[in-house]
Amino acid sequence: MKLINTALLLFLFFHGCSNNEYQVEKGVMTISKEQTQSWVRNFNPLAPGANARWPSVAGIYEPLFITNSMTSKVVPWLGESYKWKKENRVLIIKTRDNVRWSDGKPYSAYDVEFTFNLKKKFPALDGTGNWKYLKSVTAIDSSHVEFVFSRVYVPGFEVLAGQPIVPKHIWSNVDDPVKYTDPNPIGTGPFTEIVKFTNQVWELGKNPDYWQKGKPKIDKLRFPAFLSNEQATLALIKGEVDWSGNFIPAIDRIFVSKDPDHNKYWFPKSGGSIFLYLNTTQPPFDNIDFRKAISMAIDRELITKVAMYDYTSPAHQTAISGSFLNYRLSSEKINESWVGFFPNQSIQKIKSLGYKKNSSGYWADSTGKEIQVSIGIVSGWADWIRAGQIISKNLEDIGIRARVKTQDFGAWFNDLQTGEFSGAIAWAESGANPFPMYEGLMASKNIKPIGEHAGTNWHRFGLSEVDSLVSIFEVTSDDSMKNKLIYRMQELFIKSAPAIPLFADPTWGVYSTKRFKNFPSADNPYAQISPNKTPENLFILTEVEPK
Amino acid sequence: MNKSVIYIFRRFLFYCLAGFMAITLNFLIPRLMPGDPASIMFAQFKGKLKPEALDALKETFGFADGPLLMQYFDYLKHLFRGDFGVSISYFPQPVVEVISSGLYWTLFLAGTSLIISFILGSIVGIFLAWNRDQKLDSFLIPTLSFLGAFPYFFIAMLLLYYFGFILDWFPLRHAYSQYVTPGYNLDFIISVLSHSILPAFTLIFVSLGGWMLSMRNNMISILGTEYINYAKAIGYDKKILMFRFAARNALLPSITGFGMALGFILSGALLTEIIFSYPGQGYLLLQAVRAQDFPLLQGIFLTITFSVLLSNLIVDIILLLLDPRIRK
Repeated sequence: MKLINTALLLFLFFHGCSNNEYQVEKGVMTISKEQTQSWVRNFNPLAPGANARWPSVAGIYEPLFITNSMTSKVVPWLGESYKWKKENRVLIIKTRDNVRWSDGKPYSAYDVEFTFNLKKKFPALDGTGNWKYLKSVTAIDSSHVEFVFSRVYVPGFEVLAGQPIVPKHIWSNVDDPVKYTDPNPIGTGPFTEIVKFTNQVWELGKNPDYWQKGKPKIDKLRFPAFLSNEQATLALIKGEVDWSGNFIPAIDRIFVSKDPDHNKYWFPKSGGSIFLYLNTTQPPFDNIDFRKAISMAIDRELITKVAMYDYTSPAHQTAISGSFLNYRLSSEKINESWVGFFPNQSIQKIKSLGYKKNSSGYWADSTGKEIQVSIGIVSGWADWIRAGQIISKNLEDIGIRARVKTQDFGAWFNDLQTGEFSGAIAWAESGANPFPMYEGLMASKNIKPIGEHAGTNWHRFGLSEVDSLVSIFEVTSDDSMKNKLIYRMQELFIKSAPAIPLFADPTWGVYSTKRFKNFPSADNPYAQISPNKTPENLFILTEVEPK
Repeated sequence: MNKSVIYIFRRFLFYCLAGFMAITLNFLIPRLMPGDPASIMFAQFKGKLKPEALDALKETFGFADGPLLMQYFDYLKHLFRGDFGVSISYFPQPVVEVISSGLYWTLFLAGTSLIISFILGSIVGIFLAWNRDQKLDSFLIPTLSFLGAFPYFFIAMLLLYYFGFILDWFPLRHAYSQYVTPGYNLDFIISVLSHSILPAFTLIFVSLGGWMLSMRNNMISILGTEYINYAKAIGYDKKILMFRFAARNALLPSITGFGMALGFILSGALLTEIIFSYPGQGYLLLQAVRAQDFPLLQGIFLTITFSVLLSNLIVDIILLLLDPRIRK
């Protein structure tokens, strides 16, 4: 009895301490973005492989310009304006005046010059590959930087503009910036003060002297470590997280219904699609009509409904979605529809290609070899795995032997890059417009032999016409010309079906309006909501305010 | 006593040899893997790195080619300086720092759970053996064997959902509250304890049966021996009989098992750590495997190996104290 009493006493004691877990001051925003077991203090915005904490790249440090993918506008940030010169061979960027680093020293064009030349000196920092097309970066005076290109490459602007700028007076004393963890960062961003850093939670206070006067309105950002999606979801439901980029299944029932006035989400489409890639070096996937036949056998309505919880929509014939709608071909110019669900036409198509069904009911080629496809997907990516299962069922229904093959990320990506796969579900290149997506899907100059790592064009499909479109695109700064090229790309995509678009690529943005207001939403789409979209998250960090 | 020193010394030498073998295997295994480990490792950069940057990075990581023997001596040199290299998934954090972030929490959670479970299980086992074939015995044996076979992550999830989420009695995650400052203050200590109750309970819950059963069975066979019958006949007190004569001998096989379990603590309690977002080694190990982070993997394996060896050495010493036969 005594034991039970002691136990009860102890229990009540702990109970009293633990249940009021969530207690934050007004103006403190809790964010769930990175999933980790314990935080590692790394704020190096140039660090390769995105191992620095999330706000480093856009929050503590800032880029020159930010392309707002909702409005397609280039928003000046640490740069004020830019000008192309000498037939797009020279880019002049005017840097913003009256900006200070968080240690009080003034920011100038020399910091920009220093940052880019640091990337030149340490190629490991140049993950974006700036120096493949740059010849020199020099500050003309304290507020102008001159970028001289080794070859005309207009899309390079977008990449250069997104570069986080680091202070010269600090980083010039760093011996090895590749291994530097930048534990006490000095930045220009809206949040620069590390208030607290433990392995379970860390806090980032606002920059009291931010160059956008009166901003940010949020006092402090908090980052608790969540190990899994489930843990983050529990915290969201409990109202302990204000903003998150987590995937939540059945979100209306699980999250919104708990507090419909405050619990909100917005999943805008990013502009591209998620694709089923078929290895075009392997017959019969080298045949355009066969790829179209496979595409017509896939029930995309079912995939978006069952696998994606209706968070997205079936892919369009052009693979363009969401914020890129303006770039889409007008519907009368689209003369094919191989993204619809037409299993009978699909069977007819395969038959007309000369394939015959074997005794077990599967299609086989003239030598009697059965057609098989295995769809590689990263294990644990549940939504894609469900999509893959639906696809394999669809294919089995028309008589193609298909199975889902789940792999660890490393192995999966290695197979994809080296072209050692028959089928796989994966993303496509993204950018400020749909051009990079098509370039990645169809440019033959990016094709690598099987066994060699390819950055894009994993399925190894190339059209020489695309190469010439790319070379025009790289040198033009004329918007109507760019649009023309994008239209032509779409026509080629529809004609040749290099990869099979499945559904529009959604972005995840979940938020609570209990303590904060002015999040972007479908009614007020001033920016992308997802924290995963850097550097566009700077719009949200500077616009959202406490209630 | 002289004999004991020689015994310990011989064991120590053996463990040194085993440790050296482990270090060597740890060096060889990643290099025997098919394919180019460097390329697989860099897959995690998701194609964001251009090939030029990749080559420069490989140099930073020390993937410089060279004769295997040279690489080996280099590896040994770094190892003796306590330098396990740089973790790839936490780049540029050194492996030692990454491991130490979770090490203490694993030691605390898995260590205390193991000790509690071992002591509790052994004591219950002693009593059950003494009162065998009674109601409690015939109830506890099947129940605890059943629970021991139960998937413990399932219990962990049920506990988390019911006691953490629905009833709100215990915190949902982490090793201590986000609002206390780590250090020697009462708030922090209380917070750590209240955060450890659910995860520790799941760990104890599933391992209790094993310790209890092994202790009970050892006890029963000891209780049947002649010297116990003799002591009984002489009329020794029940307590002395139970603990000094029987339990001390029955404990010997359990101690060996305890030593093994102690050594494997550092491999962490993977699923418990994931479910409760508890910082620790288990998840680190999983992550290292997933990301093909060989430096981290090697670091964790070495800590596990050395903790197994060390705890075995400790067990040898304990056995020496408990069992006078070894001393002779």
